[in-house]
Amino acid sequence: MGRGVFWSIVTLAALTLVTVAIGFLWLPSAHADFTAKGVWDMICRAAGVPEKWGDGAAAKPAARSTQVVLDASMARAGPADAGGRGASLALAQCTMCHGPQGMTQSNAPNLAGQYSDVIVKQLLDYKQGDRASSIMQSLAAALAERDVTDIAAYYASLPKPRNTPVQDMDKVPALVKTGDPIRNIAPCAACHGGIERKLGTPWLEGMPREYLAQQLGAFASGERRNDSHKQMRNVARGMTPAEISEVSDFYARQAHE
Amino acid sequence: MFAARKLVLAHFWVAFVAFGAAILLGEWQMLVRSPMVGWVSNPEHYYRSVTFHGVVMAYVLPTLVAMAFGYAVCELALKRPLVGLKWAWIGFWLVIAGVVLAAIPMATGYASVLYTFYPPMIAHATFYIGVVLVVVGSWVWVGLMHVNLRAWQRENPGAAIPLAMFGTLAGAYLWAWTSLGAAIEVLVLILPVALGLKGTIDAGLARVFFSWTLHAIVYFWLMPAYIAFYTIVPRAIGGRLYSDTMGRVAFVLFLVFSMPIGIHHLFGDPQVGAGFKFVHAAMTALVSVPTLLTVFTITASVEIAARLRGGQGLFAWVKALPWKEPAMLAVAFSFVMLGFGGAGGIINMSYQMNETIHNTQWVTGHFHLIFAGAIVIMYFVIAYDLWPQLVRGVSLPAKLVRTQLWLWFVGMMVLTMPWHLVGLLGMPRRMAYFDYSNPALQSQAWTVTASTIGGLMLVVSAVLFIYILATARRNVAEPAPYSFARSLHPDDPVPAGLNGFALWIGMMVALTVVNYGFPIAQLASVKESSVPAIHMGRP
Repeated sequence: MGRGVFWSIVTLAALTLVTVAIGFLWLPSAHADFTAKGVWDMICRAAGVPEKWGDGAAAKPAARSTQVVLDASMARAGPADAGGRGASLALAQCTMCHGPQGMTQSNAPNLAGQYSDVIVKQLLDYKQGDRASSIMQSLAAALAERDVTDIAAYYASLPKPRNTPVQDMDKVPALVKTGDPIRNIAPCAACHGGIERKLGTPWLEGMPREYLAQQLGAFASGERRNDSHKQMRNVARGMTPAEISEVSDFYARQAHE
Repeated sequence: MFAARKLVLAHFWVAFVAFGAAILLGEWQMLVRSPMVGWVSNPEHYYRSVTFHGVVMAYVLPTLVAMAFGYAVCELALKRPLVGLKWAWIGFWLVIAGVVLAAIPMATGYASVLYTFYPPMIAHATFYIGVVLVVVGSWVWVGLMHVNLRAWQRENPGAAIPLAMFGTLAGAYLWAWTSLGAAIEVLVLILPVALGLKGTIDAGLARVFFSWTLHAIVYFWLMPAYIAFYTIVPRAIGGRLYSDTMGRVAFVLFLVFSMPIGIHHLFGDPQVGAGFKFVHAAMTALVSVPTLLTVFTITASVEIAARLRGGQGLFAWVKALPWKEPAMLAVAFSFVMLGFGGAGGIINMSYQMNETIHNTQWVTGHFHLIFAGAIVIMYFVIAYDLWPQLVRGVSLPAKLVRTQLWLWFVGMMVLTMPWHLVGLLGMPRRMAYFDYSNPALQSQAWTVTASTIGGLMLVVSAVLFIYILATARRNVAEPAPYSFARSLHPDDPVPAGLNGFALWIGMMVALTVVNYGFPIAQLASVKESSVPAIHMGRP
């Protein structure tokens, strides 16, 4: 190895060591955020190792059911400017998970065309800690009452995703069209649309399959309990995993607008 | 030139025609953002235009110019026909196919992700496949540069690699290694999402991979300009290159230090640790060293030319310079823009000062001044200098050439200085419109009008440039034989370490591992870091 080569390598190595020492030892040592838990922790922080978060504490199931009293006024269109104000709020806080216009490829629920009473109820439940989600609870906590109704007005104003119409009624799962009276399972379509739509029940067509299956599971296990009078818990508890899968598939079929 | 004449011309023409189209879009963007016309009715059209302008100016133009210049240097400096001409044409058609494929989703609004590939914004898959084809085409060029050097070395064992070829190879090796980051980002992280196989993407990791490419790519764009500084300018103005060794040192320093510094683009990103941000900032500072060496060496070379023409005194020799020579004018303009842009760049790379200008219009001003100004003006010089070889013995209209260069320089200053100013005042970049009726913004409105006027001068300059090249006709039987600049001491031996690349490539890879290894491994191992993708052009 020539002298030039040798010194080039030594210089580069020394330079790297000095910058690393400054970046990982000297600079962080000047800040209490870095030095709080000792030298090794300080180096880890400077290297960008994330702190553990979301350790389950925030996602503990709520102890009580919902405090929200459903009211027909929640379903009425608000003042003309509510949707515009809601769009600004949604743009800043909701689009990341729920898609730029309420439709998403992720497993977060689609909100486009969702009934305003549904969004108001769920946001209030999150705000009051009755529906568990570390992300949604902290976002909802900051919303004023008017923010909630504005966001709801915005999403309600967007076009609903619709499934391909079913020509053959035999292909609709039995639980959706007739339920199973002997097990005390009401037909989905009796509240979620198709037969009848009840205040506070969401539009389900085009929802992500994972989301539907997960929520039915959470109702069945009692992990989610913000349904008034245990309406969904009583239904979901009676369903088998295969049935949960079947109705989730049905509502999540390729959406058409 | 021997075998590659048509090949080089084809690369240049595609590059310059695309450049001509993209500059019109740039000016349209300035116009609709200015207070002179109403707001653009659909902001998506604005971002579609930014995407096209950026993709052409940042990827198509410099890649094709670097390839064309590389092929030309290969034949002119090594004095032998290009090896692998057929492969070179395959590379060219790959680039063309890629550009066409990417242009379709861009034109139809399915790829308005700007040109920076920052997820969770996801374009249509054909956009990424097109970009990958462009990169693969350029890899063919990298391979050919390497093969041609080896072939020449077999015939000339132990001889010093000509400086122009040495710089070209440094650029090629740099590009091969630095394009890997974006290639991994696109192939591993983005394409599965764009193809619908996945709904979420690790945006933080993707940004780190993109930063791997994002900064060093600038030095790939810059390399042809620096090769022109060292090997064209001194000859064109009748001087000598002050130091051949200094040129080689500058090229290898770019190779080592331009790569492991990209995280200075991510100072605002929470997923990267502060320690790595500092290390990248410190090493970014080092990349100013080869530029300062170059400015010194070229200024010394220019002084030699002035003194050979009878220039006297400490500074009075400047008057003796051949100011009517386009290369002289261009190098002076280039250095002025490099000076302002470089000073701004030092602010960008400083971890603390960056806070004031991060994501503001200042950044747009910075890279237009450095790249579109200091570097692209040297692309013009390269084209003007090679054109007689390419269209066989033609003399270009010198007055028109000087007018074109003047317009480019003044236009670029008028475009970018107001951007720097409003950037300091906090104007964000990448905005489709501003509400100038807001009293807080009203006082900044004139700056956007000023930039629009600067942009118009650039459009006129670009039209002149294309006109000059297109109207050049063969008017002599044979072009004068081409030569590169001679150095002041042509018989000095070249140090062994500066006649090869092994050591410098080793350093480049080692520094990359040190500076990127941990952040990438760490981010790849964190499971909770994926976010839903946002597909452009879909509801």
